[in-house]
Amino acid sequence: MTLFEYVRPDDVTGAVDLVSADPGAAYLAGGTTQLDLLLKDGVIRSDRLVDIGRLPLRGITRDGDTLRVGALTTMDALAGDPVVAQRVPFVREALLAGASPQLRNMATIGGNLLQRTRCRYFRDSAVAACNKRVPGSGCAAVTGVARMHAILGASERCIALHASDLCVPLVALDVQVHLRGTGGERTVPLTEFYLPSGESPEIETVLRHGELITRVDLPLPAPGTRSGYLKVRDRASYEFALTSAAAALVVDNGVITSARLALGGVGTIPWRARAAEAVLTGAPANVDTFRAAAEAEIRDPFTVPGTEFKVELAKRTIVRTLRDVSGVRS
Amino acid sequence: MSPVTVDTKLLGDPVDRVDGPLKVSGAAPYPSDVSYPGMAYAALVQSTIGAGTINRIDAAEATAVPGVLTVITYENTPALPDGPMTILGPSARFPFKDNRIVHYGQHVAMAVAETAERAVAAARLVRIDYDPTTPVLGITNPDAPVEQNAWGLDTTRGDVEGALASAEVTYDETFTIAPETNNPLGLFATVARWEGGRLVVHESTQWPIMARQTLATVFELAEQDVRVFVPFIGGGFGAGLRFPPHAILTVLAARMLDRPVKLVLTRPQMFTSIGHRPETRQRVRLGVARDGRLLAIDHEATSTIGIEETNLEPITQTTPSAYDCPNVATHERQVRLNIPNPGAMRAPGTAQGNFAVESALDEVAYRLRCDPIALRLRNYAEVQPGTGLPWSSKALRECYRVGAERFGWADRNPEVRSMRDGDWLIGYGMAGVTFDWYQAPCRARISIRRDGTAYARSAATDLGTGTYTIATQLTAQLLGLDLDRVRFDLGDSDLPLAPQSGGSGLAMSLSGALHQAAGNLVGAFLDVVADDAGSPLRGRGADDVTATGGRLHLVTDPSVGETYIDILDRHGLDELTADGAVDPKPEGAGMTPAGGFAARFVEVRVDEDLGVLRVARVVTAIDAGRILNEKTARSQVLGATVMGIGMSLLEQTEFDPGTGRVANATLGDYLIPVNADVPDLDVVFVGEPDRFSPVGIKGIGEIGIVGVAAAIANAVHHATGRRIRSLPITIEKLL
Repeated sequence: MTLFEYVRPDDVTGAVDLVSADPGAAYLAGGTTQLDLLLKDGVIRSDRLVDIGRLPLRGITRDGDTLRVGALTTMDALAGDPVVAQRVPFVREALLAGASPQLRNMATIGGNLLQRTRCRYFRDSAVAACNKRVPGSGCAAVTGVARMHAILGASERCIALHASDLCVPLVALDVQVHLRGTGGERTVPLTEFYLPSGESPEIETVLRHGELITRVDLPLPAPGTRSGYLKVRDRASYEFALTSAAAALVVDNGVITSARLALGGVGTIPWRARAAEAVLTGAPANVDTFRAAAEAEIRDPFTVPGTEFKVELAKRTIVRTLRDVSGVRS
Repeated sequence: MSPVTVDTKLLGDPVDRVDGPLKVSGAAPYPSDVSYPGMAYAALVQSTIGAGTINRIDAAEATAVPGVLTVITYENTPALPDGPMTILGPSARFPFKDNRIVHYGQHVAMAVAETAERAVAAARLVRIDYDPTTPVLGITNPDAPVEQNAWGLDTTRGDVEGALASAEVTYDETFTIAPETNNPLGLFATVARWEGGRLVVHESTQWPIMARQTLATVFELAEQDVRVFVPFIGGGFGAGLRFPPHAILTVLAARMLDRPVKLVLTRPQMFTSIGHRPETRQRVRLGVARDGRLLAIDHEATSTIGIEETNLEPITQTTPSAYDCPNVATHERQVRLNIPNPGAMRAPGTAQGNFAVESALDEVAYRLRCDPIALRLRNYAEVQPGTGLPWSSKALRECYRVGAERFGWADRNPEVRSMRDGDWLIGYGMAGVTFDWYQAPCRARISIRRDGTAYARSAATDLGTGTYTIATQLTAQLLGLDLDRVRFDLGDSDLPLAPQSGGSGLAMSLSGALHQAAGNLVGAFLDVVADDAGSPLRGRGADDVTATGGRLHLVTDPSVGETYIDILDRHGLDELTADGAVDPKPEGAGMTPAGGFAARFVEVRVDEDLGVLRVARVVTAIDAGRILNEKTARSQVLGATVMGIGMSLLEQTEFDPGTGRVANATLGDYLIPVNADVPDLDVVFVGEPDRFSPVGIKGIGEIGIVGVAAAIANAVHHATGRRIRSLPITIEKLL
């Protein structure tokens, strides 16, 4: 039997202390992934699950041009927030493009950040080769069915995709992640929260054992910023992205004065498109610029037979998103 | 002439499902809901290699789990006889005969424990050491053994090669379709219980009589000592047409432990344990005259099968009868691979064959600059082209006409890429459908009781399709009773023999048997009053009498008659019972029994830059003869159309190229349409009652999926100018 202890503390300090003190403990957080991986897929082991569901980490407050979003705020609540709808509509669009209404009513923002990859080679413990699950064992996905896998940040060691929609606009916005550990609080930009797959695909974030995401601070861009999220997929709803893009632009007299761009469906981590942003910033808002930005970003993809099409699809997704957000037609 | 008459109207009343309240209240007992006191639970262990042998099994750790009762492997499984042949071929390969592994996901052990959780825990702890070999995978693999015409279904008429050589226009293209998995929502389950020497099994099957026969053979019992129950099943789509090895293992476990045992497959196990639609490749060659006359059709099809099993997948079956073409040849090949053996999945063969032929005709229509409907009408098969006999019914012409009208086909600009809405290219496509007739013998029994209610029964199944409802409705109508006075039972092998829910044949067979049983029952009532001076019906023959409002009365004078209750009361009878049977014999009927016909019309939208394809609307005009219940029939077609959208756009079972492991064996990874993928679906029934069927109906269970893929692909061509001959049409194929 898979036996584990289940604890449900009421306060953050208690929860952090419980997990930090016990190397075999884990937070029961990131709902579906944690329990699935433990009980159904047998991929992870935990002797003690600390349920954070009762911690006072729920709610959205505004502090000037920052939106403070508690880690246990649901996707549905954030999508319904009027400030989000008005100032960062691409966050709302990404939220509503993700999961299903039922899941969005339950799933939390902190959980979304920490959702594990959907890679079926990682999730099937009968597959021997998975560097993320068993470091050094190889990667079966590279020679397998890899249509839903990453092309950016990927290598022959791991092509597992970070499948979140929400994280795409969030990395574009430079949100800050607040972490609580036994040593107190620290803040990490989301763009530095995820670690490149690199040599150690099993280490996915900067989180130390026992650290808990308490909230996400979302800076509101200047009024006049236009944003949008585009998700490309075969099924019209309830499917992870093949490619997606989140863009926030300020266009002044036909010139892009500020550009934030991030990509989903293509990266081992939510992919901030800084090379594209460099091309865009100060350039005329037209399709040639958008295409140049796309080419600059998707320069060095790692593809396998199942993912080759994503190179061109990602570029077109960038161009379409920028076109729609900027409102230019040519 | 039968004393019971079928309603003459084409469309039967759209009454609600009689089992609807049970289902929506969660009270309908599906096989996985069955429990017995003292029941144990089983969990399967499946192989993690694609081919080879088991070297060693170590179940010590598993059996040490508290509450674990046994671990069954090939090593402790007694020799069991094979199951019987059915019309679908020999029984499934039983994997516990020896140590050989023939596909990834083959059952290799079954753990049985006091609780389901402990069984799963134990299954994870069974250590199996394999000697793997390289599995044979890939439909084009030159190392794969090939079976030519394994079912003897290849046909030929005329001189195909000669006609192809001299035709003014020739066509030669190849079509591919990914393997798909049935994925009924209800997880397949077996609950087995031995009662002394008798065996009771609750099984997710579409064919209780076959299940009983299989269990009797394998466990060497008399058939009357086996009883199979399946009052409800959460869908099947063909997956329940063969008896699966996991059910035999569950029965075996119950015998070994002498207590009831339950097994419920997991969703991933549903991908490897109960069949799937095989991968196919088809080559279609056509020879056509400039005026559109089809001169030759050569249709060659290849499907995959398990390395040492069989599967009936008649891909080219309807090709010879679909059009009036003098020279037709069909060829079926099967490629043996180390994959779970495929099986029937809704319209097996025909769904795939239609995609190829109806796509090819669309291509030819474009080459000839001819309207696709006009091309089909040019080659309309007025009589069955193989037999030369008239069809028992055929309203395909009306399907084209009515469908085109409702869809607005005439507004279509035939030029490709001629319609656009912003980033979306818009396309219209259509396809014709000819579906084969199939019917099997069936028995039914009806009683009328002292309280005036009727009880009808047959060992049929209701897959969620509406069998309960249409059988209740038909019985009520034939016997002149209100719907709520009739009960119909099915899903029990002790009931009169019924065929499978398969081949779109059950409703036809069952309605025929009920029709005859109802006639015999009225005859039995007339026999009772034949010498009854107190009866206004004394001495009356079947031809004089009909039934309405719970009474039998004269056809000519409804006031002369009496109720069933009166007759039973006066004669001190608790009930009268009669049987009915159909044994369909088309020979000598002077006609060829027809299956359904349909025309499908589809509008698609394609975002060409992003490769995104969405179906905007589907119009289906269908000739299925008389419709017993307009609502359940329509629902059948709607559901099948959705499945057709899945086949066309989304569904593909992906085997790992190296091992044959199903790489997407969850409903998160294997995509089926969600509501957002399903547009406005319009279904219209046309035609007239069929002349061969006693009640005028034709099967409707499968035809709804056929033609969707071709109509969509043809619409994609119209929208984009690109011809996609490979399903599903995913984004990368349109980029």
